[in-house]
Amino acid sequence: MADPILEGRGLTKRFGGLVAVDSVDIAIERGEICGLIGPNGAGKSTLFRLISGVMAPTAGVVTFNGRPITGRSAHDVCVAGVAVTHQIVRPFRDMSVVDNVMVGAFFGHRPRPRGRSGARAAAMEELEICGLADRAEAPARSLTLGGHKRLEIARALATRPEVLLLDEVLAGLNPTETDRTLDLVRTVRERGTTIVMVEHNLRAVRGVCSRIVVLVEGRKIVEGDPDAVLTDERVVSAYLGTAHA
Amino acid sequence: MSYGLALIYGVLKIINLANAGFLMLGAYVTWWLFTAYHVDPLLAPLVIIPVFFLIGVGLERTLVRRVLGAEPIISLLLLFGVWLVLQNLAYVIWTGDTRSIENPFVESTVKFVGLQLSVPRLYVFAMGILSLIALQLFLTRTYLGRAIRATAQDRDAARLVGVDVDRVMGIAFGIGIALAGFGGSLLSLLFSFTPDFGRVLSLKSFCIVVLGGLDSIVGVAFGSVALAIAEAFGVRYMPASMQDLISFVVLVIVLVALPKGIVGTLRSLRRG
Amino acid sequence: MARNAAFAAIAIAALVAVPFVAPGAEYALDVLFLIFLYGAMATAWNLVGGLAGQVSFGHAAFLGIGAYATAIMTTNGVSLWITVPVSALLAGVYSLVIGIPAFRLRGPYFSIATIGIGEATRLIARNWSSLTGGVSGLTLSSAPPLLMQYFAALALLVAAVGLAAWIRASRFGYALAAVRQDTDAAETLGVATTVAKTQALFISACILGVAGSIYALHYLFVSPDSVFGFSTSIALVIMPIIGGLGTVTGPLIGAVIYTFIREQLAATLANVDLLAFGVLLIAIVVFEPRGVIGIVDRIRGIRKRRPVTVPDG
Repeated sequence: MADPILEGRGLTKRFGGLVAVDSVDIAIERGEICGLIGPNGAGKSTLFRLISGVMAPTAGVVTFNGRPITGRSAHDVCVAGVAVTHQIVRPFRDMSVVDNVMVGAFFGHRPRPRGRSGARAAAMEELEICGLADRAEAPARSLTLGGHKRLEIARALATRPEVLLLDEVLAGLNPTETDRTLDLVRTVRERGTTIVMVEHNLRAVRGVCSRIVVLVEGRKIVEGDPDAVLTDERVVSAYLGTAHA
Repeated sequence: MSYGLALIYGVLKIINLANAGFLMLGAYVTWWLFTAYHVDPLLAPLVIIPVFFLIGVGLERTLVRRVLGAEPIISLLLLFGVWLVLQNLAYVIWTGDTRSIENPFVESTVKFVGLQLSVPRLYVFAMGILSLIALQLFLTRTYLGRAIRATAQDRDAARLVGVDVDRVMGIAFGIGIALAGFGGSLLSLLFSFTPDFGRVLSLKSFCIVVLGGLDSIVGVAFGSVALAIAEAFGVRYMPASMQDLISFVVLVIVLVALPKGIVGTLRSLRRG
Repeated sequence: MARNAAFAAIAIAALVAVPFVAPGAEYALDVLFLIFLYGAMATAWNLVGGLAGQVSFGHAAFLGIGAYATAIMTTNGVSLWITVPVSALLAGVYSLVIGIPAFRLRGPYFSIATIGIGEATRLIARNWSSLTGGVSGLTLSSAPPLLMQYFAALALLVAAVGLAAWIRASRFGYALAAVRQDTDAAETLGVATTVAKTQALFISACILGVAGSIYALHYLFVSPDSVFGFSTSIALVIMPIIGGLGTVTGPLIGAVIYTFIREQLAATLANVDLLAFGVLLIAIVVFEPRGVIGIVDRIRGIRKRRPVTVPDG
């Protein structure tokens, strides 16, 4: 890949004796929607944490737009342009929906919005896209799970990221909500944001991703075109056991 | 011999952790210390432990349970409030005069290997170790002990595997309070005290937890020793009134240099 | 918001007028003075404990530093115009020194550490006799006229409350609210959480430093147990909680309640007032954690729809 927007080389994370991520090389192309899949415990969320600065890698480098961001703090990475959502949603429960998103608008990018009204306007934009505009003043804790997931996305979007890392954003959603969220993902990409999605919903992944990377036990085993990857016998056996390969 | 004391502090702290960060045992220690005033101190624990246990369970049922869902600040404040009540109740009932226990046992010493050792200190030390061992055994070998640990780690998961979480939390809290009372009772043999006593203890046990890392009894034991050593050094170089500062200085140094505590850092280094 | 400002302006005008309208009512002025001072202190604590959610049980340390600095400087003839700002600044600097290690801790662990910090500061004051006069403390030679003290305290209160209100509605306020709700999530949204906490602490400490100055000039005596004492720290925690943690008017309400209870009960048994506060604290925490403001909201039928960052009123 000529000019990846986000790249990780040799990323490794050890927790005591456990190697959660093992020398992973990953390169994300500008403007793509890349899927990151693998059985539970494969290290996908950990990889996200390494990239977004929530955790420092034991080894390896992360570059963003050609510049290294390895080991920088989470807030630095966010401001630089890489935003992440959480697998288990973490809304600011006692704050209103729009206030939640305003935090992202205020702090996630430079230049800062113009005052509170500027931040609010930016926040409302993202809420519109995510279908939460009518719940703007409600306390965040009053949302349904689907709403919470969209709030996570809206908050992250308010930081105007160039790359958005979505961690199992479809988990726990019913089919209607899933489709709605996938539409949202496509819209976000059309606005120019590159997206990397950790997902277990393989059908959704095939439908929306242009490329898939597979992690098993911390190591990347294959990557490429969705159809090819999903029928690759290594991937099938990783998910279902070797008998089905 | 302050090792024994430090062990006690550590034991008190461990149960806290089993209660997801609730803190406040120092106040109960203080309260206890005044009760010890009237009863033969060595026998007092026989009364203290069950009574405090019941109080702990009762407290958990009535007050603590109500604030479980809210921000952790709230439960901290609740326990702080309880502490405040206890401490000032103690002031009101027993006044702020310094109290101590004076009887032959407390003053006795024994000659051992050429050293004049204080019997109460030996006793406390022994009790400290025994409690630690007993606690460790309880938490690891009994069903209830394991249920407590499970609940501390993940309340919902524990519920799913059949643990009666409500009962367990009450019991765990009760144990914590009972241990605090026991600890206070032991300490009353060694020190004179005022209602303020609990506060300094709290700080020390906290120090131990930070030193030893947050999640193991071994760590706590280690932290206790470390603090005791630090205090022993301090006695030589600092005036007596400054001694409490030692805990604090150690704490700050450790916090700045080793946020995971000494044991935690050693562990991660060892596993590379 | 405009309604609030109007109320505030009227209240301030009324308070300014009191000494002129009732010049002989020294006791009333004294009580008001205390309320102003406590109110400012409670508001300052609330910035860190309420807005940012970092409950500190050692805030008396900053009050004490302001008080001692003022005592030492005025005894050496330094003008008040220099003494007060320097006292505030020293308190602020101290907050940076202890904030950096302390903020490595989260939640209850941070709170416990602050107990230690408060205690340690008191012990240092006790033992550093050459500077602080040790256990016996320091006396100041002369007090500014009561009227001047009254207006100084009022000015501090207005400044503190104004600052708190402004912060709450500002970008900084959003950072603090986010830190309070979920520090890690805030980090992933670009909030430099440690910086925000430290800033709040610094501001809080400076306000307390000025309060300490005023305190010293009023009582003309400072000692380790009086200014650095744990009971002072407790007071700073109780007032905002009773009134309404994290709100703007909460600490004021708490200060009024605190002053009245204190005045009424301290005359009887020594520790009954603290006992009462303990009970009150438990009651508030269990039944209405949002304090008096929360109770008022309930009566007015406003359920907990109102999110934390909306200015009250």
